[in-house]
Amino acid sequence: MAAEAVGAWFLEIAETTGAMTVLLAKVLARLVPPRVDARELVKNLYKMGVRSLPIVAVTALFTGAIMVIQAATIVKRYGAEGLLGWGAGFGTLREIAPLLTALMISGRVGANNTAELGTMVVTEQLDALRVLAIDPISFLVAPRFIAIVSTLFMMTLFADALALLGAAYTGDALLGVSPTTFYNGLTSGLLNFGDVATGLVKSVVFGLVIALTSCHFGLATKGGAPGVGRAVNATVMASAAGIFVLDYLTSFALGD
Amino acid sequence: MIQFKNIVKSFGPKPVLNDVSFDVPTGSVFFIIGASGVGKSVLIKHLVGLLYRDSGEIWLDDEDISKFDESRMGAIRKKCAMVFQHSTLFDSMTCAENVALPLRKHKHLSLREALAEARERLKVVRMQEFADRYPPEMGDGMRKRVAIARALTVDPKYVLFDEPTTSLDPVSARRVDALIRELSDKLGVTSIVVSHDLTSLFAIADRIVMLYRGKVRLQGSRADFKSTEDGVVQQFIHGRATGPFEL
Amino acid sequence: MTPTLARPNASSPHEPELEPLEHAYEPLGFVGSLGAAGIDLIVGARELYSVFVRTLHYVVRGRREKGAVIRQMYEIGNRSFLFLSITMGFIGMILVYQAGLQAKRIVPDFTLLGATFLELLVRDFAASLGALMLATRVGAGIAAEIGSMVVTEQIDALRMCAADPIDFLIKPRFLASIVMTLVLVVCAGAISFVAGGLTANIAFDVPLRTFFNHELVDFGDMAIGLTKCLAYGAAIPIVSGYCGLSTFGGSEGVGWATTRAVVNTSLAIIILNFFISGAGFLVFPG
Repeated sequence: MAAEAVGAWFLEIAETTGAMTVLLAKVLARLVPPRVDARELVKNLYKMGVRSLPIVAVTALFTGAIMVIQAATIVKRYGAEGLLGWGAGFGTLREIAPLLTALMISGRVGANNTAELGTMVVTEQLDALRVLAIDPISFLVAPRFIAIVSTLFMMTLFADALALLGAAYTGDALLGVSPTTFYNGLTSGLLNFGDVATGLVKSVVFGLVIALTSCHFGLATKGGAPGVGRAVNATVMASAAGIFVLDYLTSFALGD
Repeated sequence: MIQFKNIVKSFGPKPVLNDVSFDVPTGSVFFIIGASGVGKSVLIKHLVGLLYRDSGEIWLDDEDISKFDESRMGAIRKKCAMVFQHSTLFDSMTCAENVALPLRKHKHLSLREALAEARERLKVVRMQEFADRYPPEMGDGMRKRVAIARALTVDPKYVLFDEPTTSLDPVSARRVDALIRELSDKLGVTSIVVSHDLTSLFAIADRIVMLYRGKVRLQGSRADFKSTEDGVVQQFIHGRATGPFEL
Repeated sequence: MTPTLARPNASSPHEPELEPLEHAYEPLGFVGSLGAAGIDLIVGARELYSVFVRTLHYVVRGRREKGAVIRQMYEIGNRSFLFLSITMGFIGMILVYQAGLQAKRIVPDFTLLGATFLELLVRDFAASLGALMLATRVGAGIAAEIGSMVVTEQIDALRMCAADPIDFLIKPRFLASIVMTLVLVVCAGAISFVAGGLTANIAFDVPLRTFFNHELVDFGDMAIGLTKCLAYGAAIPIVSGYCGLSTFGGSEGVGWATTRAVVNTSLAIIILNFFISGAGFLVFPG
């Protein structure tokens, strides 16, 4: 019984992964030579990017603050105020900012994308495209794909900056570490460009995960309005799980 | 000329079409009638590659299209347009943008040219005043006319109508009927209409085929249908509650 | 900020693929839209507060339906366990790996790696990251379920039977979520710690005996961690239930409600985390 359930679960994961790989191949085939609808791309970049700024900003500011609060205990214990910037910055840039930005974008953009594609599928709008001899992949999926990946990359850059800002001012308020000391700690050489780059590479990987899962579950929607809800649910879970697994793998692959 | 030859289609264990064959002559208004769920819509979706048959052949202008893959279907879909039952306009685009989309994609017009052309084409269906409205704001009849304009953008030889008058008020329904008749008379377009609207049937049909329990029950002209002795057909076209007709 | 917290009232038919609410504010200009967002935030917060108060009211005096809470505990708890174990296991591995890299740069001394990790896990990461995962799994589920009931008019049917949907739908989820969040966070935290220990052992040769060290965890850490569990456990069903109840606009509505639930619940957790961590630091500065 339990073994059966686990078996079925594995089969399901294998099937989903396979379908996503096929989708990825189809999207990549539309990129060389580029057959992507430019108008849809711009529309989606605006909708996904610009409109996600507020929640990414709030998340980043609070995350930076929380990182400093967590580091504060340790800093106080060792009296190492000068290291606060480095302590909070290391985790923020390499790990927490890309991760939390990805989770928020998955919730907002990924889930939205699934709901949108899912609605188009259940109302036959996708069939309508095909009947007009317009390729749904290059018209709908590829622009969203590119928009999601580039949105997450840019949002991570933005979140990095805001998180450090939040961290600096929380350090000032909570521990009396001046923002100047904080930034000195950041730039004194213990942190380098590689740390920022690690975070940014991760953001691209997470962007691919979100784009693939959200497009896949959106296109695979079945069964009317409740089906759209189920698809959204499946997307956010699969994205979260995928993000963590790939986070681990990229962390190891990139190393120090 | 479209020919269906021995089409068999089932969904899982449930057989829907069981050996269906008939010809659609060019230039006519051709009606496919039958009870709800008999497989009328299923049948015409085979023509544009939205569904694939289990066995049988579909000939369209001397090509067997039943085995065409998605990429070869592209050419067929430009020849054979479809108007969906719920019109299925793109909700995120205005009427003009809906019509402009295939123009932009297939005639390689710029956005501005495509929108201008789209307005011209909306005039044909008398929808030019609504060019900048979004589909959810409009009534079913208006959406249907925009959907027809959109289907005609590729200058198709054949147009498939999936229950074009279902859920329309009587006035809108008769206007759609007139439009379909006009397409055939003025442009020589062949229309295949899936319907169980008896009023349209007797107003505009040139030829009719009736599907019953997965098979063709009768095909012929309006006169043939009126004069048939077949009790099942009689019951259907007179809309009687009792008789030999089984669902 | 965040118009997403606001109640969706004016559904503009123009671009239903955008969130209609935000779209409706377009002509207001920047300052206008800020103001509108602010008003919506206040309205949203007030309604959220009202849902919370009514839930508490029904917890004390509502009718008791046998098995409803247990069923929800199964739904929220058991069915999230696998998902939470996997994600939290990976989090443990990632965090320890990153912390190890970080420590290596100044002092290659890993003796306190486990103890510090455990302290952070108890005080923050187990509860906060676990709750973020629960927000996606449980929050989306609650919103989708209640949202479908709204669009199919089942909620109206409930009202016709003189049953308050809050008593009937949100209360059992509220109670179940508080209990199960605590249980799941403890389990997931343990899994995370063990996964972290194995990673430290493999990647940095830290002996397991050195890693499994709990001497840095004190009463303050436990108190903060516990407070977070309770706060998140309460916030998830309230915020996502509210998003579900404010579903509008037929078939697409359920999708949007689910999306809003995930985003708003995650934001609620991050903001609660900030305040509880800050207060915790001031109360237990050690």
